[in-house]
Amino acid sequence: MSGTIGFEPKIVAFVCNWCTYLGADLAGTARLEYPANVRIIRLPCTGRIDTNLVVKALEIGADAVLVSGCHPGDCHYSAGNYHARRRWMLFRDLLEVVGFDTRRLHFTWISAAEGRKFQQVIMEITEQTRALGPYRPYETEPAQPGASAGTIHPPALARDFAGVRQELRAAARRLLEEGKVKVVIGYGASGPVFITRPEDSEHLEWNEGCLANLTVYLKRPEVRALGAAAVVVKGCDERALVVLEKESQIRREELQVIGVACEGLGQAKCAACDTHVPRFADQIISSTAAQGEAPADGRYADLERFLEKPREERLAYWTAEFDRCLKCYACRQVCPMCYCEKCLADKNRPQAIDSSPHRKGNFAWHLSRAIHLAGRCVGCDECTRACPAGIDLRLLNLALARAAETQFGYRAGMDPAVEPVVGVYSLQDKEEFIQ
Amino acid sequence: MSQRISKDDLRKRTGAWIANGKTVAGPVQVKPGLVLYAQLQSPEVLLVDGWIRPGNSIKEFVFPRHEALYGYAIDGAGITLHDLPAEIPEQIIIGAHPCDAAALPILDKLFNWDYPDDFFNRRREATTVITIACAGHDEQCFCTSVGLGPAAERGSDVMLADCGDGSYEVRCLTEKGAVLWGGTVEPAGDGAAQAAAKSVAGPERRFEPSDVAEFAKEHFEDPFWREHALACVGCGACAYTCPVCHCFDIVDEGNSHGGVRARNWDACQFAMFTLHASGHNPRPAQGARQRQRIYHKFLMYPEKFGEILCTGCGNCARNCPVGLGVLPVISEICHAESI
Repeated sequence: MSGTIGFEPKIVAFVCNWCTYLGADLAGTARLEYPANVRIIRLPCTGRIDTNLVVKALEIGADAVLVSGCHPGDCHYSAGNYHARRRWMLFRDLLEVVGFDTRRLHFTWISAAEGRKFQQVIMEITEQTRALGPYRPYETEPAQPGASAGTIHPPALARDFAGVRQELRAAARRLLEEGKVKVVIGYGASGPVFITRPEDSEHLEWNEGCLANLTVYLKRPEVRALGAAAVVVKGCDERALVVLEKESQIRREELQVIGVACEGLGQAKCAACDTHVPRFADQIISSTAAQGEAPADGRYADLERFLEKPREERLAYWTAEFDRCLKCYACRQVCPMCYCEKCLADKNRPQAIDSSPHRKGNFAWHLSRAIHLAGRCVGCDECTRACPAGIDLRLLNLALARAAETQFGYRAGMDPAVEPVVGVYSLQDKEEFIQ
Repeated sequence: MSQRISKDDLRKRTGAWIANGKTVAGPVQVKPGLVLYAQLQSPEVLLVDGWIRPGNSIKEFVFPRHEALYGYAIDGAGITLHDLPAEIPEQIIIGAHPCDAAALPILDKLFNWDYPDDFFNRRREATTVITIACAGHDEQCFCTSVGLGPAAERGSDVMLADCGDGSYEVRCLTEKGAVLWGGTVEPAGDGAAQAAAKSVAGPERRFEPSDVAEFAKEHFEDPFWREHALACVGCGACAYTCPVCHCFDIVDEGNSHGGVRARNWDACQFAMFTLHASGHNPRPAQGARQRQRIYHKFLMYPEKFGEILCTGCGNCARNCPVGLGVLPVISEICHAESI
C-alpha cells in the first residue's frame, strides 16, 4: 500500500480491569517488550464496553481496535464476558454489512497471569495492522446516485379492501360501545387516528396506505392518558407487541388487539413476509386474506444480494446513504422499540454520539441505532419508510436479524416463550473469532 | 426580447459551469422514488423533465445542516479561537421550484434582523438561483394559498418557462442572474411562454393565511392541538425538509486540546428543543410543539417580519410518516372553524 512507509499503526485496546489489564501489567513488570502502538483503555468489564466506543476509536483514527477480557468462566462479575461475546457476534456482522474492515477488530481473552499472551497478541495485531496499512474508512468516496442497491418496491397491489374496512369499523364500534376500551388506535384516511366515540369508527380505513406500525403509540403518555386502548395490527406489527411485553413495556391483558390478516401492502418487507396473519390478536379480521406462506427466495434475499458486493463498495454505498442523513430522527421516532425516555443520541454529558449530521456523526448514529435494535427489531420497516432521505435502513436491520437467527436461532417477536437474544447468553456461543 | 434555450443546451451550459469549477446543484434522482436537490457531479443527472417535487429544499445550500463556525484550541495558557478557512465557491442552483426560491428572501430577514449572519450571507451572495416555472402540482401543493404560484418570481435570479417544444424561455430577473446567463434584466418580460406560465392556475386555493392567524390568536389553549398532535411522532422530518424552517443548535465538538464550534439544524418538534437545564420543559407535550410550528409560521413570523413563514411547497406533509403537515393541520382548522 502506498503511503505506508514509516507507518506506525494506532491500536486502541479496551480491556477489562480484572484480567487483561493485569495481564498487561504483568507483561510490564516481567519486562516483556511489546510495541508501543497500543493505547490501553481500562474498563470494569468487557460486558461494559459499548460498541459505540469501538466506533469512536475508529472515528478518531484508530487503525485497529482490540477488546479483551477474562476467559470464559473467569469473569469477575460472573457473566460479563459472555454478554460481551454475544454482543460482539452481532456487532461484527453489522460492521461486515456496512463494509468496515473486520480484520481490524480483535477480541481476545487474556487472564491476569498471561503477560506473555498479551505481549504476543499486541505484537501480532501490530504487525497485521502494519501490513494492512492506515485505516481511514471515513474518507471513503461515496457511491454516486444510480450505483446504489436501493430496494425497488413492488407496485402497490390493486385490491378491494372494502370487506376488511367494514369489519374493522364494526369491531371498533363494538369495543367502544361495550366499554371495553376508551380508544381504538387505527388507520384513517391520511394517517393514524384515535377513535374515542363509537360513531367515529366510520373514519377507520383499510388500504395500501395503512403502513404505520401503530404499536408505537402504546407508550406515548398523551395516548395512554386516553385510557384503555385497542390497537389495529398487521402480522408484522404484532411482533412488536411480543417484544414490548417481553421487555415489560406493555401489559398485554390491558390491551385489545385487532389483528388484520394482511396479504401484503406492496412494500419490500411484504415480499419477504411470513407472518401475514397475526397470531396473538384478540380478534382477527380476514375477509379475503390468504394464509401466510414462506417467501420464495428467503427472508434475507435483499441482504444477501447486497453482500455480494465487495467490502469497499459496501462502505461506499453506506457512505453515500449516511451522507444524506439529516438527523431528523424519524427512524427512531416511528420505531416501537425505541421507547427510551432519553435516547443515547440525546445524551450530552458527555456527548456519546456527535449530534452533528456529518459523516462521522451519522455513522455513529446509524450503527448505534441498529445495534440497539439487535434481536429486538421486528422488521416492520417503519424506519425505512419514514426516512426523508431514503436511507435503506432495512438492510441494517436485516443484517442483525439474520445474525440473531443464524447464530442464535432467534427471531424477535415470534415466540413469547423464548428469552431475548441480547440479555441472555449461552456457554455454547461460538467464539471462533476470539483468540 | 426573451431568450430561448433548448433543453440540450441547458444541459451543456450546466456541464460548462461544472467544468469551470462552480458548484451546481439541482434535482437528482437519488434512488427509485426519491428525488432530492443535490450537488451535480455531471449534467446528465440533472432532472428537469416533467414536474417532480424534490423531497428536500434548497435551503441547505445557503444554510447547511451542519456548519463549522470557528475553531478553538485549549492549552495551558487558556483558550484561543481561530477562524476556519471559509472559501465559499460560487453556487448555481438549477431547476429550483418557485416555492424554494421564494424561501431565500424570507430567510434573509431572519438572518439579518439583529445582526448580519455572515455564514448565511456569504453563501447567499455566492448563490444564483435558476427557477423553472411549475407546470404541475400534486395534492400537497398549496403555494397559491400563501400568496405564491407556479410562476412566482420571488427569490429567483433567472426564470425558465417551458415552451413545450423542448426549449425554455429565459428571463433574467436580477443583475446576478443576468451576469451568470449573459443577458439583461427583464423585469416585465415579453415572452409568450413566460406569459403562459403565469397564467397556469396552480393548486386550488385552500385557505387564507390571515384566518389561520386569527384562529391561532383565539385558540392557544384549545384541546384541538392536543388531539391533532396525538399521531405526531415527534421527529424533525417536516422542519428539515421545509424551505424556511431555520432553527439551529450550537455544539462544540472536539477533545481536551480543541475542536470546533458548529451549528446544526434543530427542530421544534423534538422534546429536547426546549428542555431547560433545570429539567423544566415549557413545551412538555407534542400538542404544544405542533402548535408552536403553526404559530411560528402564521402568527409570530408575520408579526415580526411582515410575512408568513411558509411557501406552500407541501414537503412537510409529503415527508411526514403519519400524514400530518401544514396543509393537513390547517385543513382540520378550517374544517373545525368553517373558515
